[in-house]
Amino acid sequence: MEKKSLWAFGTREVVFAAIGAALYGVLSFATNWAQIPAAGNVAIRPAVVIPLFFGIAFGPWVGLITGFLGNVLGDLLSGYGFWLWWSLGNGVMGFVTGLIAGGMTTFKSGAEILKAEIMVVVGVAAGMFLASVSEIFVSGVTFATTLSINFLPAFISNIVNGLILTPILMVAYAAVSARAGR
Amino acid sequence: MLVSFSYRQRGSVIERLDARARWIFSILLLFTIVIFWDIRFLLFFLALGLGQYFAAQLTWSETRRAWTFILVLMTLMVVVNTLITGSGTIASVADDGYPVWQFNTRLPLFGWQINFALTAERLWFALTQYVRVIAISALFIVVPFTMNPRSYGATFRGMGLGDRLAFSFDLAFRFVPTLARDFSITLDAQRARGYEVERVKGGIIAQIRRVAPLLVPVTMNAIIGGEDIINAMDLRCFGLRKRTWIEALSYHWYDYVWIGFAVFLFVGSLVLRYVYQIGDFWIPPGLIP
Repeated sequence: MEKKSLWAFGTREVVFAAIGAALYGVLSFATNWAQIPAAGNVAIRPAVVIPLFFGIAFGPWVGLITGFLGNVLGDLLSGYGFWLWWSLGNGVMGFVTGLIAGGMTTFKSGAEILKAEIMVVVGVAAGMFLASVSEIFVSGVTFATTLSINFLPAFISNIVNGLILTPILMVAYAAVSARAGR
Repeated sequence: MLVSFSYRQRGSVIERLDARARWIFSILLLFTIVIFWDIRFLLFFLALGLGQYFAAQLTWSETRRAWTFILVLMTLMVVVNTLITGSGTIASVADDGYPVWQFNTRLPLFGWQINFALTAERLWFALTQYVRVIAISALFIVVPFTMNPRSYGATFRGMGLGDRLAFSFDLAFRFVPTLARDFSITLDAQRARGYEVERVKGGIIAQIRRVAPLLVPVTMNAIIGGEDIINAMDLRCFGLRKRTWIEALSYHWYDYVWIGFAVFLFVGSLVLRYVYQIGDFWIPPGLIP
Protein backbone atom coordinates (compact mmCIF):
# COMPACT_ATOMS: atom_id res chain seq x y z
CA MET A 1 0.00 0.00 0.00
CA GLU A 2 1.24 3.50 -0.76
CA LYS A 3 1.98 6.11 1.91
CA LYS A 4 -0.78 8.66 2.53
CA SER A 5 -0.71 12.38 3.24
CA LEU A 6 -1.38 12.80 6.95
CA TRP A 7 -3.10 16.21 6.90
CA ALA A 8 -5.15 15.91 3.71
CA PHE A 9 -8.88 16.59 3.95
CA GLY A 10 -10.31 15.65 0.58
CA THR A 11 -13.38 13.72 -0.52
CA ARG A 12 -12.07 10.52 1.06
CA GLU A 13 -11.64 12.17 4.46
CA VAL A 14 -15.02 13.96 4.23
CA VAL A 15 -16.82 10.65 3.64
CA PHE A 16 -14.92 8.55 6.17
CA ALA A 17 -15.22 11.24 8.85
CA ALA A 18 -18.99 11.20 8.28
CA ILE A 19 -19.18 7.40 8.29
CA GLY A 20 -17.00 7.19 11.40
CA ALA A 21 -19.09 9.76 13.25
CA ALA A 22 -22.37 8.09 12.30
CA LEU A 23 -20.99 4.66 13.27
CA TYR A 24 -19.71 5.92 16.60
CA GLY A 25 -23.02 7.61 17.35
CA VAL A 26 -25.15 4.60 16.35
CA LEU A 27 -22.95 2.02 18.07
CA SER A 28 -22.72 4.08 21.27
CA PHE A 29 -26.50 4.28 21.33
CA ALA A 30 -26.97 0.66 20.19
CA THR A 31 -24.63 -0.95 22.70
CA ASN A 32 -26.67 0.60 25.48
CA TRP A 33 -29.90 -0.39 23.83
CA ALA A 34 -28.88 -3.98 23.04
CA GLN A 35 -27.39 -4.56 26.48
CA ILE A 36 -24.32 -6.18 25.01
CA PRO A 37 -22.61 -7.79 28.01
CA ALA A 38 -19.46 -5.73 27.79
CA ALA A 39 -21.40 -2.51 27.54
CA GLY A 40 -24.53 -2.96 29.58
CA ASN A 41 -23.41 -5.00 32.54
CA VAL A 42 -19.90 -3.73 33.07
CA ALA A 43 -20.83 -0.21 31.97
CA ILE A 44 -18.15 0.05 29.32
CA ARG A 45 -18.57 1.20 25.74
CA PRO A 46 -17.04 -0.96 23.00
CA ALA A 47 -17.97 1.67 20.39
CA VAL A 48 -15.09 3.82 21.61
CA VAL A 49 -12.83 1.80 19.30
CA ILE A 50 -14.41 3.56 16.29
CA PRO A 51 -12.69 6.97 16.64
CA LEU A 52 -9.45 5.24 17.68
CA PHE A 53 -9.50 2.98 14.63
CA PHE A 54 -10.73 5.62 12.15
CA GLY A 55 -7.88 7.87 13.29
CA ILE A 56 -5.33 5.12 12.66
CA ALA A 57 -6.83 4.17 9.30
CA PHE A 58 -7.74 7.58 7.82
CA GLY A 59 -5.71 10.22 9.65
CA PRO A 60 -6.01 12.77 12.46
CA TRP A 61 -8.79 14.93 10.98
CA VAL A 62 -11.00 11.91 10.40
CA GLY A 63 -10.23 10.68 13.93
CA LEU A 64 -11.03 14.10 15.38
CA ILE A 65 -14.37 14.47 13.57
CA THR A 66 -15.32 10.84 14.22
CA GLY A 67 -14.75 11.23 17.95
CA PHE A 68 -16.22 14.71 18.32
CA LEU A 69 -19.23 14.44 16.05
CA GLY A 70 -19.85 10.77 16.91
CA ASN A 71 -20.09 11.64 20.58
CA VAL A 72 -22.44 14.54 19.76
CA LEU A 73 -24.57 12.17 17.67
CA GLY A 74 -24.64 9.52 20.40
CA ASP A 75 -25.76 12.15 22.91
CA LEU A 76 -28.38 13.52 20.50
CA LEU A 77 -29.77 10.04 19.83
CA SER A 78 -29.94 9.33 23.55
CA GLY A 79 -31.42 12.79 24.23
CA TYR A 80 -28.57 13.74 26.61
CA GLY A 81 -28.05 17.22 25.22
CA PHE A 82 -24.72 18.62 24.11
CA TRP A 83 -21.52 18.26 26.16
CA LEU A 84 -18.90 20.22 24.28
CA TRP A 85 -15.88 19.31 26.42
CA TRP A 86 -16.57 15.55 26.51
CA SER A 87 -17.14 15.52 22.76
CA LEU A 88 -13.85 17.40 22.29
CA GLY A 89 -12.12 14.83 24.51
CA ASN A 90 -13.48 12.05 22.30
CA GLY A 91 -12.25 13.94 19.26
CA VAL A 92 -8.76 14.28 20.73
CA MET A 93 -8.60 10.49 21.20
CA GLY A 94 -9.13 9.96 17.47
CA PHE A 95 -6.85 12.85 16.53
CA VAL A 96 -3.92 11.48 18.55
CA THR A 97 -4.20 7.94 17.16
CA GLY A 98 -4.43 9.51 13.71
CA LEU A 99 -0.93 10.91 14.03
CA ILE A 100 0.48 7.52 13.02
CA ALA A 101 -1.85 7.07 10.05
CA GLY A 102 0.83 8.23 7.59
CA GLY A 103 3.10 5.35 8.56
CA MET A 104 0.47 2.60 8.41
CA THR A 105 0.81 0.43 5.34
CA THR A 106 -0.17 -3.19 6.02
CA PHE A 107 -2.39 -2.77 9.16
CA LYS A 108 -1.55 -6.33 10.19
CA SER A 109 2.18 -6.48 10.91
CA GLY A 110 3.20 -6.89 14.54
CA ALA A 111 5.11 -3.60 14.52
CA GLU A 112 2.15 -1.60 13.20
CA ILE A 113 -0.26 -3.18 15.64
CA LEU A 114 2.12 -2.45 18.52
CA LYS A 115 2.49 1.16 17.34
CA ALA A 116 -1.29 1.47 17.14
CA GLU A 117 -1.74 0.01 20.64
CA ILE A 118 0.73 2.52 22.09
CA MET A 119 -1.12 5.37 20.37
CA VAL A 120 -4.44 4.04 21.69
CA VAL A 121 -3.10 4.41 25.24
CA VAL A 122 -1.69 7.90 24.53
CA GLY A 123 -4.83 9.01 22.68
CA VAL A 124 -7.27 7.82 25.33
CA ALA A 125 -5.13 9.34 28.10
CA ALA A 126 -4.93 12.72 26.28
CA GLY A 127 -8.61 12.83 25.31
CA MET A 128 -10.05 11.75 28.65
CA PHE A 129 -7.62 13.99 30.54
CA LEU A 130 -8.74 17.02 28.54
CA ALA A 131 -12.41 16.20 29.08
CA SER A 132 -11.95 15.47 32.78
CA VAL A 133 -9.87 18.55 33.49
CA SER A 134 -12.51 20.72 31.85
CA GLU A 135 -14.89 19.54 34.60
CA ILE A 136 -12.74 21.54 37.04
CA PHE A 137 -13.72 24.74 35.22
CA VAL A 138 -17.33 23.74 34.58
CA SER A 139 -18.36 21.93 37.78
CA GLY A 140 -15.76 23.37 40.12
CA VAL A 141 -14.58 19.98 41.38
CA THR A 142 -11.02 19.39 42.53
CA PHE A 143 -8.40 17.65 40.44
CA ALA A 144 -8.58 14.63 42.78
CA THR A 145 -12.37 14.38 42.32
CA THR A 146 -12.28 14.61 38.55
CA LEU A 147 -9.43 12.11 38.48
CA SER A 148 -11.38 9.54 40.50
CA ILE A 149 -14.92 10.18 39.21
CA ASN A 150 -14.34 11.19 35.58
CA PHE A 151 -10.88 10.33 34.34
CA LEU A 152 -10.09 6.89 35.77
CA PRO A 153 -13.40 5.12 34.93
CA ALA A 154 -13.44 6.57 31.40
CA PHE A 155 -9.72 5.96 30.85
CA ILE A 156 -9.75 2.35 32.07
CA SER A 157 -12.87 1.28 30.17
CA ASN A 158 -11.75 3.02 26.96
CA ILE A 159 -8.25 1.57 27.21
CA VAL A 160 -9.53 -1.98 27.71
CA ASN A 161 -11.95 -1.66 24.78
CA GLY A 162 -9.42 0.11 22.58
CA LEU A 163 -6.57 -2.30 23.20
CA ILE A 164 -8.70 -5.39 22.53
CA LEU A 165 -10.80 -4.21 19.60
CA THR A 166 -8.37 -1.99 17.66
CA PRO A 167 -6.13 -4.86 16.42
CA ILE A 168 -9.22 -6.85 15.43
CA LEU A 169 -10.51 -3.97 13.30
CA MET A 170 -7.02 -3.35 11.87
CA VAL A 171 -6.63 -6.93 10.67
CA ALA A 172 -10.14 -6.91 9.20
CA TYR A 173 -9.40 -3.59 7.48
CA ALA A 174 -6.16 -4.98 6.02
CA ALA A 175 -8.21 -7.66 4.23
CA VAL A 176 -10.86 -5.19 3.07
CA SER A 177 -8.44 -2.55 1.79
CA ALA A 178 -6.35 -5.17 -0.03
CA ARG A 179 -9.50 -6.33 -1.80
CA ALA A 180 -10.58 -2.77 -2.62
CA GLY A 181 -7.12 -1.92 -3.93
CA ARG A 182 -6.92 1.35 -1.91
CA MET B 1 -33.60 -1.54 16.47
CA LEU B 2 -35.22 1.81 15.88
CA VAL B 3 -32.79 4.72 15.89
CA SER B 4 -34.34 8.12 15.58
CA PHE B 5 -33.46 11.60 16.64
CA SER B 6 -35.46 13.07 19.49
CA TYR B 7 -36.46 16.04 17.31
CA ARG B 8 -40.06 16.67 16.35
CA GLN B 9 -41.70 19.85 15.23
CA ARG B 10 -43.48 21.55 18.11
CA GLY B 11 -44.09 25.05 16.79
CA SER B 12 -42.45 26.56 19.84
CA VAL B 13 -41.00 30.06 20.04
CA ILE B 14 -37.50 28.61 20.36
CA GLU B 15 -37.82 26.73 17.04
CA ARG B 16 -38.63 29.97 15.24
CA LEU B 17 -35.15 31.27 16.04
CA ASP B 18 -32.39 30.68 13.50
CA ALA B 19 -30.27 27.64 14.48
CA ARG B 20 -27.08 29.73 14.21
CA ALA B 21 -28.47 32.33 16.61
CA ARG B 22 -29.35 29.56 19.05
CA TRP B 23 -25.87 28.02 18.94
CA ILE B 24 -24.21 31.41 19.39
CA PHE B 25 -26.52 32.20 22.31
CA SER B 26 -25.93 28.83 24.04
CA ILE B 27 -22.15 28.82 23.62
CA LEU B 28 -21.78 32.45 24.77
CA LEU B 29 -23.98 31.72 27.77
CA LEU B 30 -21.92 28.63 28.61
CA PHE B 31 -18.77 30.78 28.78
CA THR B 32 -20.69 33.37 30.79
CA ILE B 33 -21.95 30.88 33.38
CA VAL B 34 -18.56 29.30 34.02
CA ILE B 35 -16.98 32.57 35.16
CA PHE B 36 -19.37 32.89 38.14
CA TRP B 37 -19.39 31.17 41.53
CA ASP B 38 -21.91 33.52 43.14
CA ILE B 39 -25.18 31.57 43.48
CA ARG B 40 -27.26 34.74 42.98
CA PHE B 41 -25.90 35.18 39.45
CA LEU B 42 -26.12 31.44 38.80
CA LEU B 43 -29.79 31.42 39.83
CA PHE B 44 -30.43 34.11 37.21
CA PHE B 45 -28.79 31.94 34.53
CA LEU B 46 -30.69 28.89 35.78
CA ALA B 47 -33.95 30.85 35.38
CA LEU B 48 -32.85 31.81 31.86
CA GLY B 49 -32.01 28.18 30.98
CA LEU B 50 -35.27 26.89 32.42
CA GLY B 51 -37.14 29.67 30.62
CA GLN B 52 -35.70 28.42 27.34
CA TYR B 53 -36.51 24.81 28.35
CA PHE B 54 -40.18 25.61 29.00
CA ALA B 55 -40.44 27.88 25.96
CA ALA B 56 -39.27 24.89 23.90
CA GLN B 57 -42.39 23.00 25.13
CA LEU B 58 -40.41 19.99 26.35
CA THR B 59 -42.10 17.53 28.65
CA TRP B 60 -40.66 15.74 31.66
CA SER B 61 -41.21 12.30 30.10
CA GLU B 62 -39.10 13.29 27.09
CA THR B 63 -36.16 14.58 29.09
CA ARG B 64 -36.37 12.36 32.19
CA ARG B 65 -33.55 10.09 31.05
CA ALA B 66 -31.18 12.96 30.41
CA TRP B 67 -32.00 14.70 33.69
CA THR B 68 -31.54 11.45 35.62
CA PHE B 69 -28.15 10.91 34.00
CA ILE B 70 -27.02 14.46 34.76
CA LEU B 71 -28.30 14.48 38.35
CA VAL B 72 -26.80 11.06 39.21
CA LEU B 73 -23.40 12.01 37.79
CA MET B 74 -23.49 15.43 39.41
CA THR B 75 -24.51 14.00 42.80
CA LEU B 76 -21.61 11.54 42.64
CA MET B 77 -19.17 14.34 41.84
CA VAL B 78 -20.52 16.68 44.50
CA VAL B 79 -20.53 13.99 47.21
CA VAL B 80 -16.95 12.94 46.46
CA ASN B 81 -15.89 16.55 46.16
CA THR B 82 -17.57 17.71 49.36
CA LEU B 83 -16.99 14.72 51.61
CA ILE B 84 -13.91 12.89 50.38
CA THR B 85 -11.49 15.02 48.41
CA GLY B 86 -12.12 18.00 50.61
CA SER B 87 -13.44 21.06 48.83
CA GLY B 88 -14.01 22.91 45.64
CA THR B 89 -11.53 24.75 43.53
CA ILE B 90 -12.31 28.04 45.26
CA ALA B 91 -9.65 29.03 47.78
CA SER B 92 -12.15 30.39 50.32
CA VAL B 93 -13.89 26.98 50.42
CA ALA B 94 -10.65 25.09 50.83
CA ASP B 95 -9.71 27.16 53.87
CA ASP B 96 -11.09 26.40 57.32
CA GLY B 97 -14.72 27.38 57.71
CA TYR B 98 -17.59 27.16 60.14
CA PRO B 99 -18.02 23.44 61.02
CA VAL B 100 -21.54 22.04 60.78
CA TRP B 101 -20.54 18.49 61.62
CA GLN B 102 -17.20 16.98 62.54
CA PHE B 103 -15.61 13.84 63.88
CA ASN B 104 -12.17 12.70 64.92
CA THR B 105 -11.15 9.08 64.90
CA ARG B 106 -8.07 6.91 64.86
CA LEU B 107 -7.83 3.98 62.46
CA PRO B 108 -7.22 0.95 64.68
CA LEU B 109 -4.89 -1.01 62.40
CA PHE B 110 -2.73 1.80 61.01
CA GLY B 111 -3.01 4.28 63.86
CA TRP B 112 -3.81 7.13 61.46
CA GLN B 113 -5.67 10.09 62.93
CA ILE B 114 -8.63 11.28 60.84
CA ASN B 115 -10.04 14.74 61.50
CA PHE B 116 -13.05 15.51 59.34
CA ALA B 117 -15.09 18.69 59.41
CA LEU B 118 -18.03 19.41 57.13
CA THR B 119 -18.23 23.19 56.94
CA ALA B 120 -21.07 25.51 56.00
CA GLU B 121 -18.86 26.82 53.18
CA ARG B 122 -18.45 23.35 51.69
CA LEU B 123 -22.19 22.66 51.83
CA TRP B 124 -23.02 25.99 50.22
CA PHE B 125 -20.39 25.37 47.56
CA ALA B 126 -22.00 21.97 46.82
CA LEU B 127 -25.36 23.70 46.34
CA THR B 128 -23.71 26.28 44.08
CA GLN B 129 -22.20 23.49 41.99
CA TYR B 130 -25.65 21.95 41.52
CA VAL B 131 -27.18 25.25 40.41
CA ARG B 132 -24.32 25.90 38.01
CA VAL B 133 -24.42 22.48 36.32
CA ILE B 134 -28.22 22.42 36.10
CA ALA B 135 -28.15 25.89 34.52
CA ILE B 136 -25.71 24.66 31.85
CA SER B 137 -27.69 21.43 31.36
CA ALA B 138 -30.98 23.30 30.92
CA LEU B 139 -29.30 25.36 28.24
CA PHE B 140 -28.13 22.42 26.14
CA ILE B 141 -30.70 19.73 26.88
CA VAL B 142 -33.14 21.43 24.49
CA VAL B 143 -30.80 21.00 21.51
CA PRO B 144 -31.63 17.41 20.42
CA PHE B 145 -35.36 17.96 20.89
CA THR B 146 -35.75 21.26 19.11
CA MET B 147 -33.13 21.40 16.35
CA ASN B 148 -33.79 19.65 13.06
CA PRO B 149 -30.89 17.25 12.37
CA ARG B 150 -31.23 17.95 8.64
CA SER B 151 -30.17 21.55 9.16
CA TYR B 152 -26.94 20.94 11.10
CA GLY B 153 -24.69 21.01 8.01
CA ALA B 154 -26.09 24.29 6.69
CA THR B 155 -26.02 25.73 10.22
CA PHE B 156 -22.34 25.02 10.77
CA ARG B 157 -21.52 26.25 7.25
CA GLY B 158 -23.38 29.44 8.08
CA MET B 159 -21.32 29.77 11.27
CA GLY B 160 -18.09 29.85 9.28
CA LEU B 161 -17.07 26.20 8.96
CA GLY B 162 -15.54 25.20 5.62
CA ASP B 163 -17.70 23.54 2.97
CA ARG B 164 -15.97 20.16 3.30
CA LEU B 165 -16.26 20.09 7.08
CA ALA B 166 -19.90 21.21 7.03
CA PHE B 167 -20.65 18.61 4.34
CA SER B 168 -19.02 15.94 6.50
CA PHE B 169 -21.28 16.95 9.41
CA ASP B 170 -24.34 16.91 7.16
CA LEU B 171 -23.43 13.52 5.71
CA ALA B 172 -22.93 12.02 9.18
CA PHE B 173 -26.50 12.89 10.20
CA ARG B 174 -27.82 11.36 6.99
CA PHE B 175 -25.83 8.13 7.47
CA VAL B 176 -27.34 7.44 10.90
CA PRO B 177 -30.56 5.66 9.79
CA THR B 178 -28.69 3.58 7.17
CA LEU B 179 -26.01 2.43 9.61
CA ALA B 180 -28.60 1.71 12.29
CA ARG B 181 -30.43 -0.50 9.81
CA ASP B 182 -27.16 -2.26 8.90
CA PHE B 183 -26.49 -2.83 12.58
CA SER B 184 -29.94 -4.40 13.02
CA ILE B 185 -29.51 -6.67 10.00
CA THR B 186 -26.06 -7.79 11.19
CA LEU B 187 -27.35 -8.43 14.69
CA ASP B 188 -30.19 -10.58 13.32
CA ALA B 189 -27.84 -12.44 10.97
CA GLN B 190 -25.38 -13.22 13.74
CA ARG B 191 -28.19 -14.32 16.03
CA ALA B 192 -29.38 -16.68 13.30
CA ARG B 193 -25.86 -18.18 13.36
CA GLY B 194 -26.09 -18.76 17.10
CA TYR B 195 -24.49 -15.55 18.39
CA GLU B 196 -26.06 -14.90 21.78
CA VAL B 197 -25.84 -11.21 22.37
CA GLU B 198 -27.40 -11.28 25.84
CA ARG B 199 -25.20 -14.07 27.16
CA VAL B 200 -22.78 -12.96 29.86
CA LYS B 201 -19.89 -15.40 30.07
CA GLY B 202 -16.20 -15.06 30.81
CA GLY B 203 -14.16 -12.13 32.03
CA ILE B 204 -14.15 -8.58 30.73
CA ILE B 205 -11.70 -9.34 27.92
CA ALA B 206 -13.77 -12.31 26.72
CA GLN B 207 -16.92 -10.21 26.86
CA ILE B 208 -15.40 -7.38 24.83
CA ARG B 209 -14.09 -9.84 22.24
CA ARG B 210 -17.63 -11.14 21.90
CA VAL B 211 -18.62 -7.76 20.47
CA ALA B 212 -16.30 -8.31 17.49
CA PRO B 213 -18.72 -10.43 15.41
CA LEU B 214 -21.08 -7.47 15.50
CA LEU B 215 -18.62 -4.60 15.31
CA VAL B 216 -16.37 -5.88 12.51
CA PRO B 217 -19.00 -6.56 9.81
CA VAL B 218 -20.88 -3.31 10.49
CA THR B 219 -17.68 -1.25 10.35
CA MET B 220 -16.19 -2.97 7.32
CA ASN B 221 -19.46 -2.82 5.38
CA ALA B 222 -19.65 0.89 6.12
CA ILE B 223 -16.07 1.38 4.87
CA ILE B 224 -16.70 -0.60 1.66
CA GLY B 225 -19.90 1.40 1.09
CA GLY B 226 -17.91 4.57 1.73
CA GLU B 227 -15.58 3.79 -1.19
CA ASP B 228 -18.60 3.84 -3.55
CA ILE B 229 -19.73 7.18 -2.14
CA ILE B 230 -16.23 8.64 -2.60
CA ASN B 231 -16.19 7.49 -6.23
CA ALA B 232 -19.62 9.01 -6.85
CA MET B 233 -18.59 12.31 -5.25
CA ASP B 234 -15.27 12.43 -7.12
CA LEU B 235 -17.09 11.83 -10.41
CA ARG B 236 -19.30 14.82 -9.61
CA CYS B 237 -16.18 16.96 -8.90
CA PHE B 238 -16.93 17.41 -5.21
CA GLY B 239 -14.94 20.16 -3.56
CA LEU B 240 -13.87 22.09 -6.66
CA ARG B 241 -16.27 25.00 -6.14
CA LYS B 242 -18.25 26.60 -3.35
CA ARG B 243 -21.35 24.57 -2.53
CA THR B 244 -24.97 25.61 -2.28
CA TRP B 245 -27.21 24.14 0.44
CA ILE B 246 -30.79 22.93 0.22
CA GLU B 247 -31.58 24.24 3.70
CA ALA B 248 -31.49 28.03 3.41
CA LEU B 249 -31.02 29.93 6.65
CA SER B 250 -31.82 33.59 7.09
CA TYR B 251 -31.57 35.86 10.11
CA HIS B 252 -34.63 37.82 11.26
CA TRP B 253 -34.71 40.83 13.55
CA TYR B 254 -35.47 38.62 16.57
CA ASP B 255 -32.36 36.49 15.84
CA TYR B 256 -30.21 39.61 16.08
CA VAL B 257 -31.96 40.50 19.36
CA TRP B 258 -31.25 36.99 20.69
CA ILE B 259 -27.55 37.17 19.73
CA GLY B 260 -27.30 40.74 21.02
CA PHE B 261 -28.76 39.66 24.37
CA ALA B 262 -26.13 36.89 24.66
CA VAL B 263 -23.31 39.27 23.74
CA PHE B 264 -24.60 41.80 26.29
CA LEU B 265 -24.68 39.13 29.01
CA PHE B 266 -21.22 37.85 28.11
CA VAL B 267 -19.51 41.24 27.93
CA GLY B 268 -21.40 42.53 30.98
CA SER B 269 -20.36 39.45 32.95
CA LEU B 270 -16.72 39.86 31.95
CA VAL B 271 -16.80 43.47 33.13
CA LEU B 272 -18.53 42.58 36.40
CA ARG B 273 -16.21 39.68 37.11
CA TYR B 274 -12.83 41.03 36.08
CA VAL B 275 -13.19 44.82 36.34
CA TYR B 276 -15.43 45.10 39.42
CA GLN B 277 -14.43 41.72 40.94
CA ILE B 278 -18.09 40.76 41.47
CA GLY B 279 -19.32 37.15 41.16
CA ASP B 280 -16.76 35.12 43.14
CA PHE B 281 -17.95 32.47 45.60
CA TRP B 282 -20.56 33.95 47.92
CA ILE B 283 -22.17 32.53 51.05
CA PRO B 284 -25.12 34.19 52.83
CA PRO B 285 -23.72 35.95 55.93
CA GLY B 286 -26.60 34.50 58.00
CA LEU B 287 -25.24 30.96 57.53
CA ILE B 288 -22.07 31.73 59.44
CA PRO B 289 -22.73 32.70 63.06
